[in-house]
Amino acid sequence: MRFEDKLKLKKQEQIWQEYCGFLDLSIDEYMEIQNRLMNEQLTLWRKSPLGKKLSDGLEIETIDDFRKNFPLTTYEDYADVLLQKRDDMLPAEPVIWIHTTWEGGMHPIKVAPYSKNMLEAYKQNILACMILGVTEERGKVNVKAGGNFLYGLVALPYATGLFPRALADEIHVNFLPPVKEAEKMPFSERNKKGFKMGLKGGIDYFFGMSSVAYFVSKSFSKLMESSGGGSRSALSPKVAVKYLKAKKKSRKEGRSILPKDLFDLKGIMISGTDSSCYKDELEEMWGIRPMELFAGTEPTCIGTETWTRDGMYFFPDACFYEFIPESEMLRSMEDESYQPSTCLMNEVVKGEKYEIVISVLKGGAFMRYRVGDVYRCAGLENHKDGTRIPRFNYVDRVPDIIDVAGFTRITKNSVQHVIELSGLEIKDWTVIKEYTENNKPVMKMYVEMKPECLAGSAVSSRILKEHLSIYFKYMDHDYEDLKKILGMDPLEIVIVKCGTFEQFKKNHGREIRRINPASHQIRELLNAQDQVFAGVRAL
Amino acid sequence: MYSFASISIIALCCYAFLLAAFAAARKTPVVNSFIGVLIGGVLWTGGSFCMRIQMAPGSEFWFHTSMMGMFIICYAFCWFLMEFTDSKNRKLNALWFVLMIGMGVVNSITGVFLEAPEAIDAGNGDTVFIYEYSWTVSIMFVLCGAVVAHMFILMIRYYMSDDLKKRQMRPLMLGIAFIFIGELMWMFFSVKGFPVDIVAALIMVVCMMYTLHQRRLFKLTSLFSRESYYIMSLILALGLFMYFNNGLSRLLRKVLGDSQTAVNMAMCLLFALFTLVLYMAMKRFINRVFIKDEIAKANMLKEFSRTVSESLNVEEILDKMVNVIYDVIPANKIHVFIKSEDEREFRLTHSLSPLTDRNVVISATSPLVKQLARNGECLLMEDFKCLTVYKSMWDREKRQLEELEANCFFVLKDADDMVGIVAVSGKKDGSRFTYDDISFLDSVGSVCSIAVKNSRLYEKAWYEARIDELTGLLNRKYFYEILNREFEKCGKQSLALILVNLDDFKLFNQLYGNKHGDAALRRVGSILKATVGSSGYVARCSGKEFAVILPMFDTLGAKRIAETILHQISVMNRNLDDDCFVTSSLTASCGICTAPFGASTVKELVDNADMAVYQVKRKGKNGILVTTGSSVIEGVPKTGDDMLKQKTDIYTEYASTIYALTAAIDTKDHYTFNHSENVEYYATGLAYAMGLNEDSLEIIREAALLHDVGKIGIPEEILNKTTRLTEEEFDVMKGHVMNSVGIIRHLPSLDYVIPAVVSHHERWDGRGYPRKLKGEEIPLFGRILCIADAFDAMTSKRSYKEAFSTDFAVKEIVGNAGTQFDPHLAGIFTELVRNGEIKVNGNKEKTPRKN
Repeated sequence: MRFEDKLKLKKQEQIWQEYCGFLDLSIDEYMEIQNRLMNEQLTLWRKSPLGKKLSDGLEIETIDDFRKNFPLTTYEDYADVLLQKRDDMLPAEPVIWIHTTWEGGMHPIKVAPYSKNMLEAYKQNILACMILGVTEERGKVNVKAGGNFLYGLVALPYATGLFPRALADEIHVNFLPPVKEAEKMPFSERNKKGFKMGLKGGIDYFFGMSSVAYFVSKSFSKLMESSGGGSRSALSPKVAVKYLKAKKKSRKEGRSILPKDLFDLKGIMISGTDSSCYKDELEEMWGIRPMELFAGTEPTCIGTETWTRDGMYFFPDACFYEFIPESEMLRSMEDESYQPSTCLMNEVVKGEKYEIVISVLKGGAFMRYRVGDVYRCAGLENHKDGTRIPRFNYVDRVPDIIDVAGFTRITKNSVQHVIELSGLEIKDWTVIKEYTENNKPVMKMYVEMKPECLAGSAVSSRILKEHLSIYFKYMDHDYEDLKKILGMDPLEIVIVKCGTFEQFKKNHGREIRRINPASHQIRELLNAQDQVFAGVRAL
Repeated sequence: MYSFASISIIALCCYAFLLAAFAAARKTPVVNSFIGVLIGGVLWTGGSFCMRIQMAPGSEFWFHTSMMGMFIICYAFCWFLMEFTDSKNRKLNALWFVLMIGMGVVNSITGVFLEAPEAIDAGNGDTVFIYEYSWTVSIMFVLCGAVVAHMFILMIRYYMSDDLKKRQMRPLMLGIAFIFIGELMWMFFSVKGFPVDIVAALIMVVCMMYTLHQRRLFKLTSLFSRESYYIMSLILALGLFMYFNNGLSRLLRKVLGDSQTAVNMAMCLLFALFTLVLYMAMKRFINRVFIKDEIAKANMLKEFSRTVSESLNVEEILDKMVNVIYDVIPANKIHVFIKSEDEREFRLTHSLSPLTDRNVVISATSPLVKQLARNGECLLMEDFKCLTVYKSMWDREKRQLEELEANCFFVLKDADDMVGIVAVSGKKDGSRFTYDDISFLDSVGSVCSIAVKNSRLYEKAWYEARIDELTGLLNRKYFYEILNREFEKCGKQSLALILVNLDDFKLFNQLYGNKHGDAALRRVGSILKATVGSSGYVARCSGKEFAVILPMFDTLGAKRIAETILHQISVMNRNLDDDCFVTSSLTASCGICTAPFGASTVKELVDNADMAVYQVKRKGKNGILVTTGSSVIEGVPKTGDDMLKQKTDIYTEYASTIYALTAAIDTKDHYTFNHSENVEYYATGLAYAMGLNEDSLEIIREAALLHDVGKIGIPEEILNKTTRLTEEEFDVMKGHVMNSVGIIRHLPSLDYVIPAVVSHHERWDGRGYPRKLKGEEIPLFGRILCIADAFDAMTSKRSYKEAFSTDFAVKEIVGNAGTQFDPHLAGIFTELVRNGEIKVNGNKEKTPRKN
């Protein structure tokens, strides 16, 4: 039975129970579901050629054996099988292969198989997100068929393109623009077209990458001008009246028109890195608090916030979750051979940061897979929404990757490559992701130039920024999209004195980490710069 | 005019009828509120009708009755909506009750809001009622208006909440629309005298009933009694006759003339006939509409209950249950799953169709089972799918349920234990499961649970009375019962009996312990069962004797079976697990006798087979003899002399090896060499005192010499350490036991000493090593070695201690009897030491003792 039919035939309580009932689970009940489904997955995986290949000779009968004996994996472990799309090797036959870019990988893209049962669970979970995105209280299902859905995400074969397809199987919603049309359009054009259609027919739901949602909402006035200004007759009478009222109100308040002046949005859902930076402003612009959900190519849709917007809960039937405590994560980054220990959902501690490790259930290929995302446990139970399972806040990507606005993933290798291509005489460098005063992400690069080049070439922060930006864009199309779609130029250059990095090494006995060193290390680097300076003066 | 009055009568009848029906329905708040509406309806229309015909005690009384009915209806409508929409505002409900009923009571006493109308003769035989209104009547209207407004708010809220509720609300909205249209007609059109309000209210009641039915909120279980039909028919007939009295009298006078007696007689006759017809019609209608199916179901349930209570066969009970479900709820498929003995799963044991694949199991850990156990009642698949626990179902489990086409489940319980699950598929007509269906299935489940419980108890008792607990074979008593029965049945046909007696089983127990002895008996039992299959019967007649009854088998056939059995027993121990240390083969002696060739009675058959076994034993065991009683027909046992010679050869051959091994230890640890010889002396002394035979003494002697041979593999610094061993060192030291076994394994003909060697550090209380055996689980020879080993360790000097005195050692053994040592053996040993039959060697050279 489709979700739309259930809305007609079933009681609200039944629908809530079916889709959002996991919020009522105790942690023991939650773990029971996790363990049961993980046992199913282990049974499927052990029998599959992929499972046999990866667990070669290991004793794996139970979940404990698996966690004890099977090492954590990364995409490299699966690349030879998955990149060739070897259906015959997988635990379950894939229905669709989802793509994503592979930052610093051996191949430009990564692919992930989705089995029939994974897709079933995915559908259930995105509908749960939708219910929770529009409800104001526990047990209430406010979703209605036929709403207008402004959708600001990339189309298939990327994971975000699965959302409208899966949703369309379950409920009739009008995507703005229609999915088939949208899939043929460039991303930025699609957003504009969607907004224009929304101005005519209204918008009920909005789902987009948080940074895109922010950018589109921020440039709302311009869009209004390009749409409403030219042909106001194209607006529906309802929107036209609202438009006039909004115009009057905004003029009175001395501000531009905001989306909330025109639309009574039922729900706004966002995902992607840095979502927390945009939430407040999105709420201000749309009049309702955005709901954050977490979905990825490898893990599928795994987590959602509730009506309280007070932390994300992981769906018990998408993946089997393990968590690497922060100290273990850092140790494993320092020493690649180190196998960090993990804890389970019923072992996490409030306030601690964890790198997530997933085993995709229901015939998924990835087992004990390090997705590269870090979460903070926000609490083990919540009186506000009456839950008794842990909830989490998304922190960021793992420290050795810099993700800006969910668009680009910069690694040590990619920066090194850019420097080499640029031909700039950079001797040493480190990059850290920071946030501006306006809480917007920037990529701050501390560079030390070779002393011998200083006399013979023009070196300034601006020149370096221009140069490096060009090569970042050349290397990484996603980086280029940051500028094209969001108008962002996140790179900031800080030139440090010659010898600073060497001084740091002298002071600490080791080099500073290239990507995302700890903030105290940056302070120490700048202190080292002062020491170098003092040394020169003494001479 | 008459036709208009009949509308009131019809409405009254409908209210009365529904009231009677609902009075017997299961009471829920929403049903109670509907009953309130019906009571109001009866009072309102009944009072109105009686007032019009000016029935005693007078129109004023009936006016107030009717008014009270109106107030009750008004309040009960609101109450109904509050219950229907799950409104939580109970205080408002109480307020409306107090105000509306209070207003009715006050008006009845004082007439302050609306006085009773004045009845005036219109002149044409009709009566008209003149009402006098005052301003106070507006209070009544305002209050009723407030209640109606509240009802509207409730309805609109509910209507707007979701699509499903909209659909549920539609009949009620329709009913209200009728009331509204009725009132409009009454106000604006000429419907003088026509009781529009009564018709509209009646339609509303029908709509309410339909709404309740849609939401399955009531169940009419009323089985109307004969008396209630009589009374209802009588009241209705009386009312109708009173109303039509004048017209009917005139008609009868025209037909029968002026004779009052004839008219009265005719009236009485007509009244009686009318009442009878009304009674029959009402009964027929109610039966057809409400209780025909109910009675049929009740009868079937009763019959089912009776028949299953008479049966003690689970299979038969399940068959009846499936049939009764199919008769009442024609389902496409019905499957019964019964819990397996190990309680790990529910296996499909019975189905509606005999062609159903029975290889279907539901795991006891399945979320379905847990939900049913928690729920205890029928569970619809569609409801189960909505629960969060459904998320933890495996894909295979989901597909399995889909293949079973199960739509509804209920459980069979034995007290709190779930013994079975019944899965019922969708109905043939495609309709949904109703409230009645679910109740019926629950009832069948309850009845069947009791029957299954009883039959299982019976089957268990039956089983226990006939089956040997250890092996699962028939016991001795039942063996004779079967043998007599089969002997009778075979008549002149042949019947073979094989007696299988295990050789030296007592020694086997002493060697390996009772635990392995029992395991061996179970294995022999399963070999016999598997070999004979459905061709005959297998029983355990005594501790180590088994019997095989083979109806219709001749001697040759029986002999072949016996040969197969003997062969399988001989290879049996090779297949045992590595850690059980059983290496010697068990053998058996078989005696076969066949009727009518070798016996003419059951006793003769058994005696002859027994005699054949005796013959095999006497001639050296491990063989088969076929006997007719007077002569041995065929047999191939080894002779006893051959076997004895074989054993002696083994001892002689390996004596040098044993000494070589013990000498090898000596090079590493001198204490150990002396120790082995001392232990040999003490252990054989104890065994001799216990009366063990020569063979046993030889095994003990060799085991004692070899028991510490594994110390060869222990580092010298640990062996010769002068201080206390650390935990890690002690763990290494403990490994000498398994090292010994590892060495002895390479001497195939000495492997019989392994059970004793591997057990010599086990403790009587189960805290020893390596296997933590306890009590008599420890082989006898191991227990003997344990005492001898400990005694010598105490009385000898070691690298880490001086020798303790004999008295101290004896006290220690006595003190630890029952914890470390077998108390019986400890008693014998200490006695032997005390009375000097066992001399203490300590570190002295061995003083051989002639046993």
